[in-house]
Amino acid sequence: MMAEAQSHSPVRGARTPFYFNSAEHLLRIEPQRAATLAELLEAIQSCRAESIFQHTFRTLQEHHFIQEGYSNDFAHWAFFACNENGLAERLSSVDVREFTSIETLRHCFAEIIDDYLASSPVVRDRRALEPFYFCASDTVVVPTTFVARNMKEFAEALERISVHSVHYHFIEARLRLSLRSNDFSVWLEQMGLKRTAQLLNQIDIYTSTLQGVRNRIVRIVETALA
Amino acid sequence: MALDNQQPAAEPNPPGNVPADRPAGTPLLLVERRKSPRIKEAPPATPPPPQLEDYQPLIGKPELDELLYLAQSLRGKAIKMVNSTSVGGGVAEMLQRVVPLLQELEVTAHWDVLNGDTEFFEVTKAFHNALQGGAYHLTRTAREIFLRYDEQNRSRMSFDEDVIVLHDPQPLALIQSRKPNHQRWVWRCHIDLSNPNPELWDFLRPFVERHDAAIFSSQAFAQRLSIPQYLFYPFIDPLSDKNRQLDPAYLQRVCDEFGIDRSRPIVTQVSRFDRWKDPVGVIQAYRLAKRYVDCQLVLAGGSATDDPQGAAMLAEVKAAAADDSDIFVLDLPPSSALEINALQTISTIVIQKSLKEGFGLTVSEALWKGKPVIASAVGGIPNQVIHKITGMLVHSVEGCAYQIRFLLTHPGLAEHLGKNGREHVKENFLITASLKRWLLLCQILLGVARQ
Repeated sequence: MMAEAQSHSPVRGARTPFYFNSAEHLLRIEPQRAATLAELLEAIQSCRAESIFQHTFRTLQEHHFIQEGYSNDFAHWAFFACNENGLAERLSSVDVREFTSIETLRHCFAEIIDDYLASSPVVRDRRALEPFYFCASDTVVVPTTFVARNMKEFAEALERISVHSVHYHFIEARLRLSLRSNDFSVWLEQMGLKRTAQLLNQIDIYTSTLQGVRNRIVRIVETALA
Repeated sequence: MALDNQQPAAEPNPPGNVPADRPAGTPLLLVERRKSPRIKEAPPATPPPPQLEDYQPLIGKPELDELLYLAQSLRGKAIKMVNSTSVGGGVAEMLQRVVPLLQELEVTAHWDVLNGDTEFFEVTKAFHNALQGGAYHLTRTAREIFLRYDEQNRSRMSFDEDVIVLHDPQPLALIQSRKPNHQRWVWRCHIDLSNPNPELWDFLRPFVERHDAAIFSSQAFAQRLSIPQYLFYPFIDPLSDKNRQLDPAYLQRVCDEFGIDRSRPIVTQVSRFDRWKDPVGVIQAYRLAKRYVDCQLVLAGGSATDDPQGAAMLAEVKAAAADDSDIFVLDLPPSSALEINALQTISTIVIQKSLKEGFGLTVSEALWKGKPVIASAVGGIPNQVIHKITGMLVHSVEGCAYQIRFLLTHPGLAEHLGKNGREHVKENFLITASLKRWLLLCQILLGVARQ
């Protein structure tokens, strides 16, 4: 890391500038509702991809200030409305960053619930305290005024963009890229900072707020600049 | 721990903290005691209506920039809001704030109000109740009155804007003015439609489904419809009298006026005196909790003078409070926004123990002030209170009592919930978030969104 950082000039120009964007989401109420775990499974299998996105990727953004609790809406509901802690823990352990397509993510959630219901059939049709209402996101991409043409500008912009922009480039990006990476790391690799790019991908997004994630990104990038 | 009541008061409580004419041990039921509130004599000056840039310190520059960007692609487009009244009621209050801010963003925004007389509004009031689950029989006369007045309004109004938004059921039949062009029509339903009267819904549903989209305040309030349905949370204005930051001296004056002791924990529920808000249940929870922890209880509600049911409820609350001098039953007039703000701000815990609720914006008001909230899991409250993360959800008097004890003895957790709650409101329930939703919706419906 140090060798890489020391060899890198903070003002060396990038081949392609980094244009910081953000995304805004309008919530749609979908027809699917689940009052039992069996119904949740059925709805996860049949809902639109935008619903899976909403209740996993998007809920992380919506609740970016939280560092405790369950990391997706399915896990939260299994715990809070169904009192199935074991299932909640398993659903919560799904790291969305391991998925580059919504369909494989959908399949993963369905498999966990299916396995759980097979081992605990008695909870299959037990009514939850409150229903799970499926929603979906209509996404609008919003450009920001921040552009980085070198590492110095990149580090400065990272400190000033909104957490929504961090989410867009760092978390949502893998669905766009179909890569287990993110926009920041892809750009850093183009700048020849492969190790810095890797360190960014190792940040644990589930044990920190999104602001905390941004702080870690900034520290790693600043170390590379030092 | 930085909760207000646990900090030393700005000044020591003067002997006059308790009204001099109050014999020791008598209940402090201020609904009867305050003849001429001193705090009314010199309230903090009301600032001019906020402009967009006034929100920047609260939401940050990137958020404000996003609003400006989203509005850019709507320049030259026009939006019309139509509702049934220009003053009074939550919808009018919302439009009074949103329409000027849209105009400040250079989106042409018009607001038109239905004309009607008593017979029309009697019918629509009955519709309103029936759509929220009340028993109702739709007569031919009611149907004719509803259609006749909407027909009259159609002939009076013009609908040349790009997006027309009809609020609530009253103007629904205006959709018949829809032209076969690129215009988009939206129905904004502010009421709980989860259990509508079937006969009435059969009549209104065809009007709803002629729109391009419908908007609801909670997932639970929506119906199965053939058109897209969106979720728009109600909002609070952080710069309004009810939510803006108050001078510490004013907070102390309010406490002095009501005789509230800021050196001891204060548990507060702000709600009109209504059975569905369960004020008696709150007193029961306070009593259970007080076996273990010291606290005062403030029940601050709206005036009940013109509401026989409210007056009866208030009498019941006073009877339940009995001679407990730590219970403050405050029957405040509608113009008490600053006092309500102060009472929420000085509270250690805010409760909303409703048995039935619409969205329950008093919860967002308390969360915005960084207060730990204990609330029932009804209506739109679970959207605001995420259990153990932005507050505590309860289902009974006993559960409420336990959470009062728990939070009063775990101030660190209480503070953490309050911080999370404020962030949650900032993200979802501020007027700026609502403004963004309107801009996004118009972009999506008009096909100018970058997706």
